[in-house]
Amino acid sequence: MTRQWSGGLLAALLWAVSLPAQVIDSAPARSPLVRTIALDARLATDAGLALGDTVRISAAPGDSMAERAVVTALLGRRADPSEIARQEYRARLHLDQLQRLIRYGDRVDRFAVRSHGDRARTTLLDAINNAAFGFRAWPSADIAVRTSRTFQVVRRFNSAIGVITIVASAAFLLCILLLKIDERRRDVAALRMMGISAGTIVKSVVLEAGIIALLGSLAGVFFGIIVARIVNWHFQGVYRTTLAFTLITPETVLLACLLSVVLGVVAGWVAARRLVGVPPLTLLGR
Amino acid sequence: MPVRLAMLALFRHPARTLLALLGIAVSAALLLDMVMLASGMRENFKGFLMLRGYQLRVAPKGTLPFDSDATIDSAAALVAAISRLQGVTAVSPILGAQVQTTTTGDSTVTAFTLGIVPDVQGDYEMVRGQDLTDSSSVVANERWLAVTRHTLGDTVTLAVGFDPQLRTVTGERRFVVRGVARFHYIAATQPTLGMRLPVLQQMGGAERRDRASLIMVKAADDSMAEAVRTRIAGLSGRISAISLEGATEAVEQRLGYFKQLALVLGSISLGVGVLLVTTLITIGVNERAGEIAVMRAIGVAKGSIVGQVVMEGIVLTGVGALSGIGIGLVTAQWLEKILSDFPGLPTTFRFFVFQPRDAGLALSLLAAAGFLAGIYPAWRAASLPIAGTLRREAVA
Repeated sequence: MTRQWSGGLLAALLWAVSLPAQVIDSAPARSPLVRTIALDARLATDAGLALGDTVRISAAPGDSMAERAVVTALLGRRADPSEIARQEYRARLHLDQLQRLIRYGDRVDRFAVRSHGDRARTTLLDAINNAAFGFRAWPSADIAVRTSRTFQVVRRFNSAIGVITIVASAAFLLCILLLKIDERRRDVAALRMMGISAGTIVKSVVLEAGIIALLGSLAGVFFGIIVARIVNWHFQGVYRTTLAFTLITPETVLLACLLSVVLGVVAGWVAARRLVGVPPLTLLGR
Repeated sequence: MPVRLAMLALFRHPARTLLALLGIAVSAALLLDMVMLASGMRENFKGFLMLRGYQLRVAPKGTLPFDSDATIDSAAALVAAISRLQGVTAVSPILGAQVQTTTTGDSTVTAFTLGIVPDVQGDYEMVRGQDLTDSSSVVANERWLAVTRHTLGDTVTLAVGFDPQLRTVTGERRFVVRGVARFHYIAATQPTLGMRLPVLQQMGGAERRDRASLIMVKAADDSMAEAVRTRIAGLSGRISAISLEGATEAVEQRLGYFKQLALVLGSISLGVGVLLVTTLITIGVNERAGEIAVMRAIGVAKGSIVGQVVMEGIVLTGVGALSGIGIGLVTAQWLEKILSDFPGLPTTFRFFVFQPRDAGLALSLLAAAGFLAGIYPAWRAASLPIAGTLRREAVA
């Protein structure tokens, strides 16, 4: 069954590609055969349809041009961000049947043309656009850039939120590390009284702060992975898709750890310099 | 008294307190932005749809207005039927189509064109010039004038389609540009025209004869809108009657990502804020363990100690939150500027809308967070063993 549908779809695509060379036929004959249809798996679930069921399809409820079609394939939702927010169901029909049902005549909305390499593509684009009237050929890459503007905006928005979060996290991290090191006043005073140099104390405190920051960020990465899994599980269920909503990449992990360690080291250095600048007896509260 | 003691405790370590305040302020700013984003979008969209007081939209079955190329057939009869319904005060049918204008050379500009009924239209407001005075008039937005280099009073030739086989345009007609309009529901970057509905239907030939993309309906008052919507839905099985709430919910579903993001980030901001304040005050309490034990020893009540520590958390969070409101308003402007680049977004649409209620909600949440943050250290402070603590302090 699936093979039959695939073959039919391929035939429809091929026909679409070869349309310009065809003679306009404004009234194609109605096929006596029951055609096949591929339905959105969500529609099949919600409407209680299964493979092999026959459905009646028309452009509008009660339309006299309704036809029957056999469900021969169920379509999963593509992991495409542009489709996520759209809840409508999708169906794939044979091109001629759809044209007939919606009284679209011998027209298509777009063609996809495959060429052999960059040079052939350029030649083909020029040839089509020189001959075109009322339509235009675009390289797929250009269309991708145009249609991805929404995601570029979302990406910029997420980056801006990321910057705000980093500022807040940096302040929190500095504050916590200052507190942590400030708690060591008496230890530092004892070390100074034992004759340990200020440089050695600063180095040890900075090292300690760096290790705490690194361990904290590793724990954060672990926590982040769990949260990412929960977020993906939740949204994949809500939108019924396989799209990954949150991705933890090695670059993200590296950036988070690096930022955390740098902030930790800076906080450690600032706090340690403050501590070693205070006389040991004052640190002991005497 | 607890407030004064709390302030003294916070001023004891100014650097630490300042850093904590900065962190809380940025968190509060983020929380405010997220509250503004979550609620502002909905309120803004409602106001946006109600610009001209039309509470209901009628679209082809199963679609949202202008979400697809689908149109409603027998539009005139449907408009007449809706007009006769009880409680309906105005009905405005609209047809949308792509219209081509030939500019210099062979190049063409495609404009989104609305066919409207001038007396009842709610899609645009005039900026200058005249409205549609007759069948040969069009109004254009600034973008269309800029890309076609036409000015008011120019005569232009418009066409609704192409015939690639015959290499001619179809539905061609000449118009005079009478006025410049601002279209409420269309992006300012989209070249747009407005003309009388019957003219656009006629230009579209058989495909658009007696068709409408959308019908806007005004009910006598808001309380009658739902009843009118039900009556309209009963008129035909080929249409969807959408109320203000229905349209808002549909758009919210589309923009659900932002609402969910707002919820997640807002919750994280609050959670991290609580953790920071709790840590800060707990360490402060540990540092002042001796003082607290002395206060308890000289007869200060447990409740007073608890009050002081909890107040410390509330003051810290409150001051940070108040500073955060200013930062939040600035960052909201920045984020709004980023989101305004969304393709096809009408210029009047706003994602972040400041409402005193939002600021109140953010402040209340933070105050509650400050209170929560103070509970654990307050419990620790109140349950310190007096003698043991004093002995430890003396030995140290």
